[in-house]
Amino acid sequence: MAMIEFKNVDKYYGKYHALTDINLQVQQGEVVVVIGPSGSGKSTLIRTINGLEEIESGQLIVNGMDLADKKADLNELRKNVGMVFQHFNLYANKTVIENIMLAPRLVLKRDEAENKKIALRLLDTVGLAEKADAYPKQLSGGQKQRVAIARSLAMKPKVLLFDEPTSALDPEMIDDVLNVMKSIAKQGDMTLVVVTHEMGFAREVADRVIFFDQGQVVEDDPAEEFFKQPKEERARQFLSKIITHK
Amino acid sequence: MALLEQAYSFVNMRFLFEGLAVTLEVSVISIIFSFIFGLIFGVIRYIEVPYFSAVVGFIIDIIRNLPLLLIIFFTYFAIPELGIRMTPMSASIVALVVFESMMLAEVVRSGIQAVDSGQMEGARANGLTYFQAMRYIILPQALTKMIPPLVSQFISLIKDTSLATIIVLPELLYHAQIVYSQNTTYMLPMYVMIALMYFVVCYILSLAARYLERRLG
Repeated sequence: MAMIEFKNVDKYYGKYHALTDINLQVQQGEVVVVIGPSGSGKSTLIRTINGLEEIESGQLIVNGMDLADKKADLNELRKNVGMVFQHFNLYANKTVIENIMLAPRLVLKRDEAENKKIALRLLDTVGLAEKADAYPKQLSGGQKQRVAIARSLAMKPKVLLFDEPTSALDPEMIDDVLNVMKSIAKQGDMTLVVVTHEMGFAREVADRVIFFDQGQVVEDDPAEEFFKQPKEERARQFLSKIITHK
Repeated sequence: MALLEQAYSFVNMRFLFEGLAVTLEVSVISIIFSFIFGLIFGVIRYIEVPYFSAVVGFIIDIIRNLPLLLIIFFTYFAIPELGIRMTPMSASIVALVVFESMMLAEVVRSGIQAVDSGQMEGARANGLTYFQAMRYIILPQALTKMIPPLVSQFISLIKDTSLATIIVLPELLYHAQIVYSQNTTYMLPMYVMIALMYFVVCYILSLAARYLERRLG
């Protein structure tokens, strides 16, 4: 069974048709990159996967739970589906280590010593062990994003969603964050859905690329094929635009 | 000089301090209760429970737009008509709590709204329930932001206790009036002294707030 499955999903903001008849499957362990022009609905798409956005019709099954069902237990879902945001959303009133330890403590009831050990190890993995007691406002954007990734990983999710994780970063910060993301992708056990404009990242680690425009899946290809030659004209134009600008 | 010595005699000063003690007692009790109720009503206003929050909002609007003195008269003179008798002390506290908690509810609501919405999203996506997110992430940040308006409301409350002099609550202003009604030449020294007392109490509170804000901010 697929880890994430969209069946004829529609979403509206008032009269605005944000997602139109989405049909998609993401298998467990797959790395899927979603690209497309801004305003195309990529963020809305990814935010439906952990229930931050509701869908109006169709079926959306994530980790065996149907999110179209109003009674779906989103807290239960989010134990298994983490998310990294464009603007980090670190807890401003908590230190770095507390940012990472809070949800495992409250939600998973993880043993305190174990919790701390895991948090410190994750901080070390993202290269920020020395920032454990800093507050988010004392960190650079790139550091914040790496802490945010560590915070998500601490929940040991099956699915990790990235919503434009490098779009708010200064160029020199982007590589550190992408390197962390690449190493997660290469471990291969976690299902990743990444909305990004970083084509280098997509080329290197994506299994599939989805080109999204005007609330629709325009193209859904294995990554290699996509970068060789997208089938759709709109995707070709978009790709040539962002690549020539690099 | 002799006048001042007589006006500020030990007995008179002791009497003023007794008044100050009542003022502080009423203030502290009212601040505690109006903060608790203000927090509850403010959160209800913020989370927008269907119908309920609208009703609460309507009540808040009514009370905020009434003079406090009217509410004091109402609790002391009108409510006993319904068979509930109150001392000046309890009537003052009830009136102050009713009025100030509604003022504080608006402070609380706007404080919560001032917290970046990404904080709630981050917490929910991280697996926290709505209440956990409120308790550990949103409210602590909102409270820090609220310190200045909260304290200025507390200061208003302390000053407003003087209105209760009208229902013969033996607070600071009332005691000053008693002293100078014995000897009207004491009027000016009494007003200066109680002004100083109100100022010292309120100024200490605002200094404490500034310190707290710097430490938490």
